[in-house]
Amino acid sequence: MEYKTLLIANLKKHKGGLVGIFLLTLFVTVALETVLSVWLNSNTYIKEQIQQVGFGDLTVWVSNLSERSALVKDIEKLPEIDRVEIQNLIFSNYTVKEQKSDSEGQLITYSQQKNRYRFFKEDLTDYLQDNVEIKSGEIYISPAMISMFDVQIGDKITFPIARSGKNIIFTVKGFYEDPFMGSSMIGMKGFLICESDRIKILSILQNAGIDALARDGAMLHIFSSDHHITVSKLNSILNQNTSLANYTEFVHSKDAITGFMLILQNAFSGFLVAFTLVLLFVVLIVLSHNISSTIKTDTINMGILKTIGFSSFKLRLLLIVQYFIVIIIGMFFSFFLSIPFNNLVSSTTITTTGIRIPTDFPFLEMFLSFSVMLFVLIGFILLRIRKIAKIKPIQAIQKEAEKISFNPKKNVCVFGKGIYFRLALRQLITGKYQYIGAFVISVILVFFASLIGRMNTWLGTDGKGMMDAFNPADHDIGIQIFGKLNVKDVERMVRSYTEITDTYLLAMPNVTINGVDYTANVISDSERFHILKGRTCITDHEIILTEFVAANFGISIGDTIIIQGDRGDGEYVVSGIYSCANDMGDTIGMNREGYLRIGNDNPHIWCLHYFLADTSKKSLIIQDLEDTYGGDIYVHENTWSGLSGIILAMQALMIFMYSMVVIFIFIVTVMTGSKILTAEQMDLGIYKVIGFQIKHLRFTFVLRFGLIAILGSIIGILLATVFTDPIVSAAMKLAGISNFVSLPSIENIFLPVGIVTFLFTGFAYLASKKIEKSNLTALISK
Amino acid sequence: MKDIILCANNICKSFYQGNKEIPILKSVTVDIYEGDFTVIMGASGAGKSTLLYALSGMDHITDGDISFKGQKINGLSESKMARLRAKEFGFVFQQTHLVSNLTLFENVAVAGYISKTKEVKQIRKKAFNLLTQMNVEDAKDRLPSQVSGGEAQRAAIARAIIHDPKLIFADEPTGALNKSNSEEVLNILTKLNENGQNILMVTHDIKAAIHGSRILYLEDGMILDELFLDSYKEDEVRVRESKVNNWLSSLQW
Repeated sequence: MEYKTLLIANLKKHKGGLVGIFLLTLFVTVALETVLSVWLNSNTYIKEQIQQVGFGDLTVWVSNLSERSALVKDIEKLPEIDRVEIQNLIFSNYTVKEQKSDSEGQLITYSQQKNRYRFFKEDLTDYLQDNVEIKSGEIYISPAMISMFDVQIGDKITFPIARSGKNIIFTVKGFYEDPFMGSSMIGMKGFLICESDRIKILSILQNAGIDALARDGAMLHIFSSDHHITVSKLNSILNQNTSLANYTEFVHSKDAITGFMLILQNAFSGFLVAFTLVLLFVVLIVLSHNISSTIKTDTINMGILKTIGFSSFKLRLLLIVQYFIVIIIGMFFSFFLSIPFNNLVSSTTITTTGIRIPTDFPFLEMFLSFSVMLFVLIGFILLRIRKIAKIKPIQAIQKEAEKISFNPKKNVCVFGKGIYFRLALRQLITGKYQYIGAFVISVILVFFASLIGRMNTWLGTDGKGMMDAFNPADHDIGIQIFGKLNVKDVERMVRSYTEITDTYLLAMPNVTINGVDYTANVISDSERFHILKGRTCITDHEIILTEFVAANFGISIGDTIIIQGDRGDGEYVVSGIYSCANDMGDTIGMNREGYLRIGNDNPHIWCLHYFLADTSKKSLIIQDLEDTYGGDIYVHENTWSGLSGIILAMQALMIFMYSMVVIFIFIVTVMTGSKILTAEQMDLGIYKVIGFQIKHLRFTFVLRFGLIAILGSIIGILLATVFTDPIVSAAMKLAGISNFVSLPSIENIFLPVGIVTFLFTGFAYLASKKIEKSNLTALISK
Repeated sequence: MKDIILCANNICKSFYQGNKEIPILKSVTVDIYEGDFTVIMGASGAGKSTLLYALSGMDHITDGDISFKGQKINGLSESKMARLRAKEFGFVFQQTHLVSNLTLFENVAVAGYISKTKEVKQIRKKAFNLLTQMNVEDAKDRLPSQVSGGEAQRAAIARAIIHDPKLIFADEPTGALNKSNSEEVLNILTKLNENGQNILMVTHDIKAAIHGSRILYLEDGMILDELFLDSYKEDEVRVRESKVNNWLSSLQW
C-alpha cells in the first residue's frame, strides 16, 4: 500500500516531466514502428511478389530472337537449369504528356487467364478483386509513372513503332503493381497490353524492315535446379553453353532486381532508423536530466522516507516503476498511433515505389525492438538512480545549501553595461549542469540536420549530384542518331541556340568478364571519367573499374583482366578506379580505342555528349531536335525520371526530420525550462523586488537557451563537417555510389543552426511565460 | 507637520479557499510619514507581512487605494511598478533573499545598475563603500551560500539602499539571525533612519520594535493603535522597552 501511495504522489508531483517523457517515448516508438513496418513489409512483400509473378533466379531480357523454343530447349538441357518461362514483350521508346522516356518501355502481353499481376483501384487505395480485361488500345501502367511523368488515367502514351509516323497510341486504363520494374528508381518500365495489340505491333515491325524503331523481345525467367549455385556462375554457364548472349539486352538476378525495387525504401528506412536512434539518444538525455532534477527536488522526502524505514532499494524501485509506467504507456499508445502513420506512408509512397506497401504489423520484430529499447531505457535509469543510495537522512533533512562551483576571478563579471546578457551568462555558467541536456540535444539535432542538408545539397534541386554519381562522365545533353542524319546538321541546330563548349562520345555496350555480363562505359575522351584513384585509361590496353567491380574480382590498380566483347577478347591493365553507380556500380570504363580491340564499331551505339554555353536552353534545343528529326534521333538530358522520386523522398525526409526536431526541442525546452524556473523561483522574485521587469527576466532566460543552442549548433555543424562524408559515403556505397563529397552551403550550415537556435529560443520564450505568473509573495511564504 | 510619503486608504486583502473568502486585511487606513522609522507589530497571523507587501505593491489588494508620494500605485502596470521598486523602494527580508549565483558585491551592484540612478562606476564605488560600511568587504566576492547569515543580511541591507530609495520595507529582518547579528542589523537600520532614510519594518520582537519612532499595532487585519517614540538612543533601551511593553499590555498582546 505504501508503494501505491508514494507512487501516485510521485506521479502527481512530477507529472509535467513525466508527460514529456511519455510524449518523447511515444514519438520515438511511433517513428521506429513506422520505419520497421515499412522496411520489413516492403522487403517481404517485394520478395513474395517477385516469386508470385514468376521472376526467375535470373531473368534475361532478349530481343530479335526468332527461334525462341530452340534456345529455351538448349537452356533447359543444362543440368543447372530447372525450367525457363517466357513472357513476351516489345521494346519501344515512348512519349507521355510531351515527355520522351529516357529508357525503353516494355509492352508486356497480358493474359486475363494466366494473369500474374495485381491491379489497383482507380484511386490506388486498394487492389481490384478480379482480373481486369485489357481491350485493344488500352494500357495499364505502374503508379510510379504518376511521380515520373504525372500520368493519370485517360492520358495517352505514344509508342513510335517504326519511322514515318507509325506510332501506336494507348490510353491509360489503370494501374498495376509491377514488382520487377514498378519503382520510380528503375528507368525501364513495363506496360500491360492485350494480345491483339501485340499482334498489331508485330505486324507493323515486320512491314517496317530497317525502319523499325521498336523490337520484338521477351523476358526469359530462368530457374536454377541447384540453389547453391551463384547467379554470376549461372550467367557464366548460360553464356558459355548456349547462344543466349547473342540475344541478350540485359540480365538481372532476382536479388539484383529486388535490390533495385527496394533502393528507396531501404535507403530512407536506413536514414530514418539512424534518426530514430538519434532521437532515442535525446530521450536518454532528457531522462537523465529529469532523473537528476527529480532526485534533487525529492532529496528531503527521500531522507524522511529513509528515516521511517525505506531502504535505498525500495526508493529506487519506486522511481523505476514510475518511469517504467510512463515508458510502457508511451509504447502502448504508439501501437495505435503508428497504424495511421503506416497507412499514410503506404498510400503516399505508392506513386514512387510502385507498390502498395502492406501495413501488416510485424509483431515479433516490433516486440524484439521494443524489448531492446525498454532494456536500454531501464538500464539507463538504473544507472542514473544509483545516487539515491548516497542520500543520508540527516543531510537530506537539514538540506545543505546547494553548492555552486564558482570562481569570481574566472567568471563573467556582472557589470552595468550589457547587464542582462552578463546575467544570462552567469546563470548559464553557474547552472551549467541543467543546460547540458539542451546543449547535447542541440549538438545532435544540428549534426543530423546538417548531415541531411549536406546530402540534399549534394543531390541538388535537379538531382545533379545523383546523376553525376550514376553517369560515368558529365554532360549537358546527349544525342544518339539512328538514321542517316548528318551530325553537323544536328550540331548546327544546337548552335543556333547556344555555343557547344565541348563534346565527346559515349557508348554502353555489354562485355563479359569471367563469363559474367557487365556494362562497359566507353568514352572517346577518357579524361571525362570521374576518377577516384589512379588515373584514367589512356592507352588501348588500359581499363578502369568501379570500386565494386574491383572488389568483386579482388583486383586493384596495376592488375590485369581479360574482357570479352562481341568481336573477341583482350587483356587489359587496370589503370584506375572510377565512380559510376549504374547497375549498382557493376560497370567498367574503357576508352574508345580500347573497346574497339574487342568490340564492333557501329555508329548507332555512340551517343554524342555535349556541354553547352547556356544550359538554360537545353529544353528548347531538345524540343526542336525532336520536332525536326522525330524517331531518327534520341535526345536526353543529364537527368532521369526516377530522380523526382528521390527528390520527393528527400523532401519528405527533411519534413519528417524537422517536424521531429520541432517536437523534440519543444518538449525538451519546456521540460528543462520549467524545472529551471521552478528552481529559480526565489531568484526571480528577488530580481522582481529590486526592480527587474518581467520582459528583462524573460529575456535573460531566453538568452540562456539561445546561447546554449548556438554553442551546441556550432559544435554540431563542426561534427557534421568532419563526419558527414565518411558516414554518408559508407551508406551510399550500398547503392553503388562511391563519390559522395558534400559541400558546405548556406542551406546546410545556417539553416540547421538558425532553425535549432530559433526553436530553442522561441520555445524558451513560451516557457518563460511562467515568470509572469510567479508571484512575489513566494518570498513572503518562504 | 511631516509629509506623507505612503498612504493607504481602506485597503482590504482576502484569500479564497474554494468559494470561502478569508479576509486578512480589513479596511486598513494608514499614512507613513517622511523621516519615520515605522514599525508594524502584531501577533502571528494578524496580517503584518500581508500589510507590508500590500503597501509595497508586491502583493495585490482586494480593495482600497495606496498612494506613494501622492501617486496611486495599486493598479500600476508591471513595468511601472518594477520601475518604482527599482528607484524608490528598498527591501530587506527575514531570509536574506540574495540571488544565489551572484556574489555579495554583485547582488548589491545589480540593484544599483537596474535603478539607473547613477553611472556604473559610481554604483560600483558605492557598492564597495556600503559593503565596507556593513563590514562585509572581505566577503564581497563570495556567494550568499558561502557567507554567514549576518553577513548575508548586511549585504541585503546594502542592496536595499544602494539606489538611495525613498522607503525601505523590512520584513522581520532579524527573524533568522542570532542576537549579536540582530543587534548589528538593527543598529544599521537605526543609523540609516537617523540619516533620513524612511523605513517601514514588520516585527514581532520588542527589542527590534523599540528601534522605531512609530509603532502600529495590527490585530485581526485592522490597525488597533499606534505608539510614537522619540528617536532611538542606546542608553534609553530599557525605558523604551518598558514603554512599548506597557503599551502592548494595554492592547492585550
